[in-house]
Amino acid sequence: MTNFIDYFLGGLSTGAIIALMALALVLVWRSTRVVNFAQLGQAMITTFIALTVRDATGSWLIALIAAMAAGLVVGVVVYFLVIRAVKRLDTSGAIIATFGVLIALQALAGMVWGGDQKAFPPPISNSGYEVFGRIWPFSPYDLLVVVLLFVLVLTMTIVFTRTSVGLAMRASAFNPEVARLSGVRVNRMLVLGWAIAGLVGAVAGVLVAPLSTLSPTSFDLFLVFAFTAAVIGGLDSLVGAVAFGIGTGLVISLVSGYTDSGNAPVVALLLLVLNLLFKPEGVFSHHKARAV
Amino acid sequence: MLRVEGLSVSYGPVQALSEVSLDVPPGRVTAVIGANGAGKSTLMRTLAGLVKPESGRVMFEGEEITGRKPEDIARSGIALVPEGRSTIPDLTVEENLKLGGMWRSHTQRGTSLNRVYALFPVLGERRSLGADTLSGGERQQLAIGRALMCGPQVLLLDEPSLGLAPLIVTQILELVSQMAKDSGLAVLLVEQNAATALRVAKTGIVLNLGQIVKAGPAHDIAQDEELRHAYLGY
Repeated sequence: MTNFIDYFLGGLSTGAIIALMALALVLVWRSTRVVNFAQLGQAMITTFIALTVRDATGSWLIALIAAMAAGLVVGVVVYFLVIRAVKRLDTSGAIIATFGVLIALQALAGMVWGGDQKAFPPPISNSGYEVFGRIWPFSPYDLLVVVLLFVLVLTMTIVFTRTSVGLAMRASAFNPEVARLSGVRVNRMLVLGWAIAGLVGAVAGVLVAPLSTLSPTSFDLFLVFAFTAAVIGGLDSLVGAVAFGIGTGLVISLVSGYTDSGNAPVVALLLLVLNLLFKPEGVFSHHKARAV
Repeated sequence: MLRVEGLSVSYGPVQALSEVSLDVPPGRVTAVIGANGAGKSTLMRTLAGLVKPESGRVMFEGEEITGRKPEDIARSGIALVPEGRSTIPDLTVEENLKLGGMWRSHTQRGTSLNRVYALFPVLGERRSLGADTLSGGERQQLAIGRALMCGPQVLLLDEPSLGLAPLIVTQILELVSQMAKDSGLAVLLVEQNAATALRVAKTGIVLNLGQIVKAGPAHDIAQDEELRHAYLGY
C-alpha cells in the first residue's frame, strides 16, 4: 500500500505536465482540426531559449516568461507554415507537415545548442517532503508543477467561458461558418488558438526539463503520452485533456513502479488502442450523437 | 438598400445563378420563392459572402460589397440566418446571442439583447440553458435573434420554415414582417413554402433553375395560377 501511495504521488507532477502538453494539442485540434506533432518540438525550442535566458539572467522566473513569450511567437510561425500546407494539401497533408516542422525544429536545436543532454536544474528543491519520519516522493518542485497547471487551467477556463474573445474562439471551433456570419474574424481566432497552445506547451517544456535532461529529442516520449491523453479525452475537450493527462501520468508511474519503466510507453499505446476500439470518439468529446 | 445586379454563380460546370437582379428595399419583406434547386440558398450565401460570384455586383447603400469576406459583410449591416441549424448547440442560448455583433459597443449590444428577449420571450426564459435543449421553432428564433444582435439593416432569411410546424412558421414570419415595418429593416426571405412567404411579403420573386422568371407584388404572384402550377407546385 505504501508502494501504491508512493507511485501515485510520484506520478502527479508528470501527469500535470502531460496534461499541459495534451491541452496544447487539444487547443490546436479544436481550432484547426490538425494534430500538431510539432508541438513538442516547439516546446523543446522554447525550453532551450529558457535555458539560455536562465544562464544569462540567473532567474528561473524570467526564463519561464521568456519561454512563454517565445511559445506564442513560435506557435504563430508554425501556424502559418502548417496552415499554408492545409490550404494547398488536405488535413492529412497538414499533419505530415507538422512532422516535417518537428524534424526541422529538432535539427535547428541541434545546430544552435548541440545534440548532447543538458541539465536544467529546478528553481526549488526537487527532493521529497519529509513527513511522519519518512521521505515521500513529492517535492516542493512537484507542488510548483501542480500549482502552475491549476493556475493555467483556471485562467484558461475563465478566458474561455467569461470573455468575448473566449466565446469567439469556442464558436470558431464549433462552427466557423456561423461565427463568421456573426462577424467574428475566425482566422484570427485560429492564430490565437495556435499561439495559446504554443504558450501552454512552452510552460510544459520548462516544467518537464528538470525532471530529466534537455536535448533536441528528449521530449519525444512525452509526445506519445500527451497524444494518448488528448485522444482518450476526446481531442476537443479541455477537461478531458487535463483529466486523462493526469491519469496517464499516474498510470505511467504505477506501471514503472510495479514493473519496469520501459513498459510505460507500451501501456500508453495499449490504452490508446483500447480507446480507439471501444470509444473512438473519446470520453469527453463534444461530438457525440445528438437526439433531435 | 440592397441591390443585386446581374449576379451569376457557378459551381464548376453547374450554373447555379444566372444574371439575377433584384432590389431589397427597407421596411418590408421581399420573398424569393422557387422549388428545390432553384438557386435560392446560393443567392443568400453569395449575398453573405460565403460564395464568390462569377460575375455581377452586390450593392449595399450605394457601395459595392461583391466578394467581401462574410465577417466584413456582417459587420457592415447585412445579417444572414442560414438554412437549417445555424445555432451552436454546444453554447448556451445567451452565448449564441452574444456571439452576434461582438464588434459593437457594450451599450448597443445590451440594447439589442433586451430587444431580442422582448421579441422572443422564450429565449429570455432559457438564456442559461444549452441551445441543444431548444425545440426546432425556438432554435429558429435563436438563429434570428443572433442575426439581430448584429444590428443589421438587411436581414437575409434562408428557408426559415424548414422542419417547422406551419403555425410556428406563420408566427415567426409575421413577427419578422412587423419588425420590418416598425424599424425599417430590409428583409430578404427565401422560401420553398411559397404560400406562407407571399402572405407576409410585399414583393415576390420567382426563381427557377437560377433565373428570375417573374417579379412583382406578392399578392399578384400568389394569384397567378399558371405560375403556381409551373414553378411553385401548389
